[in-house]
Amino acid sequence: MSGWQSALRAGKVQVGLGLLIILLLVALLAPVLAPHDPREQDILNTLTPPAWDAEGSAEYPMGTDSLGRCILSQVIYGSRTALTVAFAAATGSMLLGCLLALVAGYLGGKTDWLVTRMVDLWMSFPPVVLSLLLMVGLGTGVRNVVLAIVLVDWTRFCRVVRSDVIVTRRRDYVTAARLLGFSHLRTIIREILPAAAPLMITMFSLEMGIAVIVEATLSFVGLSVGADVPAWGVMIADGRGYVHQAPWAMIAPMIAIFAAILAFNLLGDGLRSALDPRLRTSRI
Amino acid sequence: MQTHPVLALDGVTLQAGTGNKTIELLRDISFTVERGRTLGLVGESGAGKSMIGRLISGLLPPSFQVAAGRLLFDGADLTGQSAAARRALLGRRIAFVPQEPLSALNPVLSIGRQFAEHLARLGVPDRQRQDRAAEWLAAVHLPEPRAMLRRYPHELSGGQCQRVLIAMAFSSEPSLIVADEPTTALDVITQARIMQLLKEQQALHGAAVVLITHDLHLAAQVCDEVGVMYAGDMVERGPASAVLRAPFHPYTRSLRNSVPALDGPRRILPALPDQMPGVMALAGLGGCRFAPRCPSRDTACAGALPPWHEVGPAHRVRCADACLGADFPPAADVPDGLIRLPSEAPAVLELCDVSLHYAGRRGLFGRPAATIAAVHEVSLTVGPGEFVGLVGESGSGKSSVARLVMGLERPTSGRLLLEGHDPLTADQPLLRALREHVQIVFQDPQSALNPRRNVFSLVTQALEVSGHRVDRPERRRQARRLIEETGLPADCLPRVPSQLSGGQKQRVNIARALCVTPRLLVADEIVSGLDVSVQAQILNLLLRLGRELGISLLFISHDLAVVRYLCSRVAVMYRGRIVETGDTEEVFANPRHAYTRSLLEAVPSNRPPVDLAG
Repeated sequence: MSGWQSALRAGKVQVGLGLLIILLLVALLAPVLAPHDPREQDILNTLTPPAWDAEGSAEYPMGTDSLGRCILSQVIYGSRTALTVAFAAATGSMLLGCLLALVAGYLGGKTDWLVTRMVDLWMSFPPVVLSLLLMVGLGTGVRNVVLAIVLVDWTRFCRVVRSDVIVTRRRDYVTAARLLGFSHLRTIIREILPAAAPLMITMFSLEMGIAVIVEATLSFVGLSVGADVPAWGVMIADGRGYVHQAPWAMIAPMIAIFAAILAFNLLGDGLRSALDPRLRTSRI
Repeated sequence: MQTHPVLALDGVTLQAGTGNKTIELLRDISFTVERGRTLGLVGESGAGKSMIGRLISGLLPPSFQVAAGRLLFDGADLTGQSAAARRALLGRRIAFVPQEPLSALNPVLSIGRQFAEHLARLGVPDRQRQDRAAEWLAAVHLPEPRAMLRRYPHELSGGQCQRVLIAMAFSSEPSLIVADEPTTALDVITQARIMQLLKEQQALHGAAVVLITHDLHLAAQVCDEVGVMYAGDMVERGPASAVLRAPFHPYTRSLRNSVPALDGPRRILPALPDQMPGVMALAGLGGCRFAPRCPSRDTACAGALPPWHEVGPAHRVRCADACLGADFPPAADVPDGLIRLPSEAPAVLELCDVSLHYAGRRGLFGRPAATIAAVHEVSLTVGPGEFVGLVGESGSGKSSVARLVMGLERPTSGRLLLEGHDPLTADQPLLRALREHVQIVFQDPQSALNPRRNVFSLVTQALEVSGHRVDRPERRRQARRLIEETGLPADCLPRVPSQLSGGQKQRVNIARALCVTPRLLVADEIVSGLDVSVQAQILNLLLRLGRELGISLLFISHDLAVVRYLCSRVAVMYRGRIVETGDTEEVFANPRHAYTRSLLEAVPSNRPPVDLAG
């Protein structure tokens, strides 16, 4: 399809996709790339500066934190947590949000009213407070972080995709499919879903970036993954106390978060302008 | 002192550069418009007639440039003038009447505010603006002009908005008015009134008018002179009556003959093959651009742009010599076998006193608002193989009848029978069969075709339903049968709708409805968005399908001539009711209801129905 081809030719998509592939490789090859076990403590070498500093050592390329753990290894292993949460949470909220959006937008009437009011109610909670509450209730762990993000962010998908479904629903070709004898399910899958797919994919990419932020926020306040799992938010929280002696303990995970979110947002933004026919510029 | 014509184009050629090639969008256009005269620019969409309007107003994109010729307004060449000087002319000495009156007015400002802004630009002092605006609204026969000034565009009908815009256009006492399809968005009766108003104002103020329209009959009725455009060329120019009575250029002839007449013998419409080339295709077309579709082309046509030939007083044709003598064979009459008498078999569709009422929106406290009768006690029968027309202006409830027939709405009261069965009481297998036997062709092919499916998938979409599922080779075979039946090119199967022309999309639309071999086709305004030459192709296709497949047709349209061409019986709808029904010839010859009469009188093609000699 020409939309996808033009998407792959867009600069933003290429840069975003490139960054994302690097991140994925880092996460997958973490045991090979990381010089140390991220949990290994070296009490003799705490708060060592990076290797390029005069006092740094080649053993710890990015230095160590207050417990003598290798910062580079932590950042590398932290990408596993971040990407797992990003993919799982974005997939979950897309599935939940889009399912409800398709049902509400297609059926309309009372169903639509109910779903829309639910979304309104849901969105009136401040998202950070809601996810904090959920984490307190659910307890820590990657699975619960994912669940908390899904339960907060499905509304984002639901609201946007629903309006797209409603527009498509009114097209004559959907009526035509029904008149040819298509069942409701087949009409949704064959006629409505393909029209909403570009929007869903774009939002999926943006949602992954949001999930990275939320995960970092939650782990910053200690309400995310367990203490033994390396996470960028935890690193920032740990480094905060030694910011004057060892700023790199905070700067390294911040750069990682920045790169990940930049990748997702560039990809999402690029896809949006490439796949949205309203934003596509004509060639003449 | 020598007097100048208000507007004179002298050999204007307009070029646009795209990438490495330049396209001549307009070639060697020449015409003059004198004070108080009206010139009609006629042609199908894409012929370049609106391009001339934009050229006069200086609203062309920067990549477009006048490569040759002069554009004289009151003797001064506009092509060399600065943008600021051009802008100063607009709205003062050159005024516009746009196509879409509703979208031309700002929806958040009152009529008075918008009129005052325009008058402020003309230098009318603040105190006088409201009075002057009211005077102008009164001049265009708008009732209660003072109250009208306080209203917003959405509170006015399309015709009233167009009157406001005409008042604004004339308020600057311009020398030239460019009206770009000013009545296309309006129904026939409003169109007649707006045209009358335009003429009246023009006579009062002596402005020159350039009327851009696709309707040759309308142009012939209101213009002094017409110029016929085709693919960026002006192919024929002359006094309006002469061009309509005795068109010489093969394109003008087919433009005139492609429109069905409201009286006289019913003749098969001579449909031209294909369609007008698009802008991008113009680059490869030298010589006469009409030649590929011309019935009397010869080798001379492919060379250079043909010269002008004088064929009558002030009547000129741009065509190679060979065409001038050539005559079209007289068109055959519509075969009689087509008009089937209702047979003994049960009617395909029968409506008995069917009503469709919408409850108005309930208020906050549950008080029901007045109900709206979209359809009120309508009775209508369509026999096997019969073509029935349903006529009325927009909002008369025609489309609601279609929705009822298709089962998209349930009648509030009355009985609707499909092949003698009531779908509301039919059991599941019977209901499925009944529904399958009635298929609809939608009005807007753009919206009716899923842009992500290709033609193959679209025309055989019905085979995806359980019970019809077939294997791939069989589906391919079916697709080929359908595109052959509907006259689509054989290589179009892998194409998606955006790669098809408007006429082709409508053919795909028809092919999809034919896939499960229906007994009744419901066609809701299916030709209203098409150019006349394409319309003729689709109408002839429907006639052929009716003859070959024996299907019935419920043809919903606002166009009386088209209904007369296709249908043996007609029902006229007005405000949700059928006010008149009967044999088409009978109804059109002796309309009994006042509304039918006014509809017939408003159609411009009803005037001089002169037949081409020979």
